[in-house]
Amino acid sequence: MRTAVLLGFRLRQEVLEWSGAWWFLLTLVVQAVVAPLIGLFVWSAVYPGDPAIARYYVAIILVTLMTESFEQHTFSERIYNGTLSHELLRPQPVVVGVIGMNLAIRAWLTLLGAPIVLLTGIALQVGFDWWAVVRSTPYLVLAAVLVFLWTFLLSLTAFWTDRVHAVVGFGSQLVFLFGGTAAPIGLLPDGLRRVAEVLPFYGMNGLPAEIAAGTRSGGSLLYQLVWVVVLVGVVMVLWRAGIRRYTAVGS
Amino acid sequence: MSLRRSVAFRVNLVFDVVLAFTGLGTAIAAVLIVFTRADTLAGWSKAEFLVLIGTYQLITGLRTTFIDPNLSWFPETGIREGKLDGYLLQPAPSLFLSSLSLSSPLQLIQVVLGAGVLTWGIGIADRSPGAAGVVSWLVLVVAGTVVTWALSVLLACLAFWAPKLQLDVFYHSAWQLGRYPTDVFARPLRILLTYVFPMALIASVPSTALLRGPQLGVLLAGVLAAAGAAALAALAWRAGLRRYTGATS
Repeated sequence: MRTAVLLGFRLRQEVLEWSGAWWFLLTLVVQAVVAPLIGLFVWSAVYPGDPAIARYYVAIILVTLMTESFEQHTFSERIYNGTLSHELLRPQPVVVGVIGMNLAIRAWLTLLGAPIVLLTGIALQVGFDWWAVVRSTPYLVLAAVLVFLWTFLLSLTAFWTDRVHAVVGFGSQLVFLFGGTAAPIGLLPDGLRRVAEVLPFYGMNGLPAEIAAGTRSGGSLLYQLVWVVVLVGVVMVLWRAGIRRYTAVGS
Repeated sequence: MSLRRSVAFRVNLVFDVVLAFTGLGTAIAAVLIVFTRADTLAGWSKAEFLVLIGTYQLITGLRTTFIDPNLSWFPETGIREGKLDGYLLQPAPSLFLSSLSLSSPLQLIQVVLGAGVLTWGIGIADRSPGAAGVVSWLVLVVAGTVVTWALSVLLACLAFWAPKLQLDVFYHSAWQLGRYPTDVFARPLRILLTYVFPMALIASVPSTALLRGPQLGVLLAGVLAAAGAAALAALAWRAGLRRYTGATS
């Protein structure tokens, strides 16, 4: 309960702080929507007139905006410049601040990106079954948790290397390829599809988008939950090892 | 000097090289997946697509090697941290110093990888390019590189008028659109990418010239666009400097 209250305070603080950087946030929105938009154009050229493709990619754009994570910038930089020490001295878990900022940025990206999603939807005359959209909510929540855990996990490598952006960049490439942005999972060649369905990346983007678009009626929440548990475990191990390694001078 | 600085940290070197490989691998994989479902995409064959990706990677490599180390995050590094003030005190032209004095030679790996993909594409193409095609490809790649430099300078010039405007993320996102032929995109975006933010000139136009033969009109338009963009960049820089009052004043 106390953690929830702290998180609420932190979220409010971060939302207000980021409100001054709305122009920069808008460029982040553009960054988030470019890859799904390219996917939309490419697959619409392959299957012209198939409404499912447009519906799926509009959903992917929204899922991407709602799940974007930037811990390699927000958290790792604190390791590099030593200000993580300030967070460690506070009487609250460090992760509260990280999650607070994460949720604040996501809220702003969703708000600023909503007109783009709406315009794309109207331009392509995409119609959604709203019951399917409602049904996708738990999958979307777990997707948001998974993307955060994945990015945070990779950002923790900043304790060992100063190339955290390269590490997270590699992670994003995996999400792009196996998560359903490069191509809907169903359109991947058989072998690749089977691999993609087991890896956690499909649960980060493709699965909630497919359910919202109505391409898939039900999926396995268990598949996402298992990966949440696995990633939480790895994050905890890495955090403990990293914090033992962390040293700061004079801050 | 830049090379010595880069190879001093071997683990970082490994990271950069691996990321260059995986980045290109991901881009190629995304395209190859499409070609498991279709023979052509917006009129482009697999070989043409590979040539396009190779050309795009080549120019991107040149940009990240010679331009980005100077002009990335210019409002922050160039103006607020006062690097530009230092350049203005030196006897060489400030535009040259600000846009081309530093380099990141390791990024040339992207140029090598781009050349590799280009060769792969040419190798599996139905017909090999003629001498005229190769020459016009070369001319258009040079034109594309000049336009790239000019776009980066113009973006940096914005900092003279709006120092808080940070468009680097936007620029690099829009740059991704160059990896696909403009024929793939809807008409308004296609027009935007051809005439306003000429990503078409980066890869689509040179690749078409290489494999489908040169067109004099396109060649001329490419050269004129490069000259026009470079002149505009120089003018904007001069106008910006007239407004500039120094980071510390």
